[in-house]
Amino acid sequence: MSAAVLGAPVLTKEERSGKYLAFHLGPEEFGIQVLKVREIMGIQEITAVPHTPQHTKGVINLRGKVIPVVDLRLKFGMPEAIYTQRTCIIVTEVEGESGPMMIGAVVDGVSEVLNLSPVDIEDTPDFGGEVATTGLLGMAKVKGKVKILLDIDHVMTHQDLKDLGKILS
Amino acid sequence: MNHSEIEALLEKAATQFMLGENAETEASLALLGSATVCAEASALAGELSRTVRKSSTEDEWPDDATRSRMEAGLDQLRKLLSEGGSQSLPAASTGSPVANSSSSSALNQDPELVGDFILEAREHLQTVETGLLVLEKEPANPDTLNAVFRSFHTIKGLAGFLEFANIQALAHEVETILDLARTGQLVMTPNLIDLTLESSDYVGKEINRIEAQLHAKDPGPVLDPGLLLVRVRTVIGGDHSGDHSGNEATPDLEPQELKPVQAEVFGAKIAPSSSNTAQPANTPKTTHPKAVPAEQMDAKTKRGMATDTHAIRVDTAKLDYLLDMVGEMVIAESMVRLDPELSGTKNTRLQRNLNQLRRVTEEVQKVAMATRLIPVGTLFQRVNRLVRDTSRKAGKMAEVELIGEDTQLDKTIIEELTDPIMHMVRNSIDHGIETPADRVQAGKPQSGRVQLKAYRQADHIQIEIVDDGRGLHKEKILAKARERGLINESVHLTDSEIFQLIFEPGFSTAEKVTDISGRGVGMDVVKKQIQKLRGKIDIHSTPGLGTTFYLKLPLTLAIVEGLVVGVGRERYILPIFSVQEMFRPVEGQVSTVQSRGEMVMVRNQLLPLIRLHRSLGVKPKTEDTAQSLLIVAETEGKRFVLMVDEFVGKQEVVIKSLGASLKNTTGIAGGAILGDGRVGLILDLEAIYSERNLKAEVIKESLLEAC
Repeated sequence: MSAAVLGAPVLTKEERSGKYLAFHLGPEEFGIQVLKVREIMGIQEITAVPHTPQHTKGVINLRGKVIPVVDLRLKFGMPEAIYTQRTCIIVTEVEGESGPMMIGAVVDGVSEVLNLSPVDIEDTPDFGGEVATTGLLGMAKVKGKVKILLDIDHVMTHQDLKDLGKILS
Repeated sequence: MNHSEIEALLEKAATQFMLGENAETEASLALLGSATVCAEASALAGELSRTVRKSSTEDEWPDDATRSRMEAGLDQLRKLLSEGGSQSLPAASTGSPVANSSSSSALNQDPELVGDFILEAREHLQTVETGLLVLEKEPANPDTLNAVFRSFHTIKGLAGFLEFANIQALAHEVETILDLARTGQLVMTPNLIDLTLESSDYVGKEINRIEAQLHAKDPGPVLDPGLLLVRVRTVIGGDHSGDHSGNEATPDLEPQELKPVQAEVFGAKIAPSSSNTAQPANTPKTTHPKAVPAEQMDAKTKRGMATDTHAIRVDTAKLDYLLDMVGEMVIAESMVRLDPELSGTKNTRLQRNLNQLRRVTEEVQKVAMATRLIPVGTLFQRVNRLVRDTSRKAGKMAEVELIGEDTQLDKTIIEELTDPIMHMVRNSIDHGIETPADRVQAGKPQSGRVQLKAYRQADHIQIEIVDDGRGLHKEKILAKARERGLINESVHLTDSEIFQLIFEPGFSTAEKVTDISGRGVGMDVVKKQIQKLRGKIDIHSTPGLGTTFYLKLPLTLAIVEGLVVGVGRERYILPIFSVQEMFRPVEGQVSTVQSRGEMVMVRNQLLPLIRLHRSLGVKPKTEDTAQSLLIVAETEGKRFVLMVDEFVGKQEVVIKSLGASLKNTTGIAGGAILGDGRVGLILDLEAIYSERNLKAEVIKESLLEAC
């Protein structure tokens, strides 16, 4: 049943296993595939761009390239947080409509790189239709804590996860 | 033997030929000739078989001429057989003969190689065109003849290797003409030059089609080279009292004179294999059948390019990355140099080293910027051809003079500039230059003159298009403008303003519409295009003496000179070419006009005021106009005033895209890295202006509804 919720293409647990970068937004822990991460940088001054959605914080200079930055808290409908020393920008490379593009994601902090084996991963539970789960690869249980694995390609290019925060709280 | 067996046999023969197994090729072809039901194919197969035998009995590796003849023959045979096949077996695939003739397996197998071919062939066609125009004046110029010959030769070789049979066949025949010409057996008459130009046009069109196919676009219908081929062959057969007795339609037209050339080029390679006739199994050619044409081609290419300056092809993406990095280096350097700890230093050695670093950084930046620049010569050369064709069509005489062909401009600008320049030159010939009779009557030389001049002036490039024709007719333009209601009777205009009227859409003073120009479409497009390139266009004209178009263009599109302004905590960049002036308003200068919003009186003109913080939705330092800075901006001929908090500085910035997800943001044209490493947003003034108008409309409508 849960496989149907995930939507196509459904990846097997083996395909979803591997290395994940773990980060947190408030009390929630998340993971994204390490292969999608280009680099992690401390928070820096972001130039706001007018006429953009609230979660688009603006643009930064990544060694001569201008890349957009998205605040994942706002993207998931979570309350905004004040940026601190621990706030990070994870620079990801995602598949856009016109090829790969780099997008920065503001998170509260990164914790570690996890090596997840197939048995650690479970399918995403049904949230009762209130939130699309296409952007989630599944759940991972590590040392008794649950981490939500994100399909960052989907998260960065769709707007259907804005209620995720509400459900988690 | 059924159809597919025959086709298989043909492929076997082709492979054997490629491997140099002459005896086997000969046998296969002979067998094929006797097996096929199609009479034409049978005859051709027999002939090819004899050709192979002839070259192998002559104890000589098939030379290049025979090789290409054989390849062409084999191709034709394939075509014949597939046509014959579809007749006898209607269920078999249809349409393959057409596809065969113009598409090559290389297209799918080696797109990179085909891409290189397209680039290289275009360069050669450019050489050909330039050369032919020289030949028109000096038909026997040996250097030019050789250059044109070599270009066609290279195109032929490359096309043959990549299996573009049409191009190969035509280039081969044209090459023969040119060879006859350079050995003095044929004179390049204007007719011949026309024919050769047409052939090069054909090759150009075919290359466009190949490019379209490469990018999986619709290439359009297949162009048949048949007629051109026949004409070229007639020339070769007729003018040349030849070594062969031929009315043959097969491409057996290779005169013996070609041999020495090839022997010279490939001499080293031919020699070792000449000792073994039928089984050259121990030559490297057998072990790497594919490498044979490639090696030969290399030699040809090198020969063809010997006259070029040393150049390499670099992917533009790599160049852009280099420019990004250099930009970063410049910023990092200035941050180090201006660091308070260093800038106040008394250490002379450190100061000296920092200065050295700055000089080197500046130099690196300059060089990196220059990599994107190419000489305008490539563009000017095309004008030569255009003037020749247009003046002939219009029954006029005109000469072209090119000055400053070495002037360097950004590649993108040159590409975008081609159409406008072509259009203006076409206009100069059609409207400017008089007919020879009129010119003599006016006391001018019979032949008109069109001059293209390019030179650098400070930080921009000036291009002038000068003709010595009849000049623009001021009264006619004025009358036409009044007739069309562009201006009213009472307005007094300066000359330059009158001339600018010809850039209005649909404006033409030509009495009759020709197929060259006169429909009044174009000059407005020209102006738009120039403006898109952030350039300006101006006209000077004296009745009876001619017209000059002045184009002023930036060196590159990648860099824009910007005015950095601050609004609240944000900083924005305005392109300086659209800024006219800035000032602090005095009391009473800003007023609210009913239903039109806020207006500012600037030099006795009321201009609309746009508060930048409102259109961008940021919090300003102050709402008070008296404490803000007002900037008069102009875009697309519309003037308006922008209100910002403060002026930060002037800076040359490299324009960068904001990326796929943000590139369509209203009011923002792009981003740029400022001196401190932060990103500044470049404003799209036109969008900001039209958005404001849109808002005003909405407000007006809602007001009307409320009433």
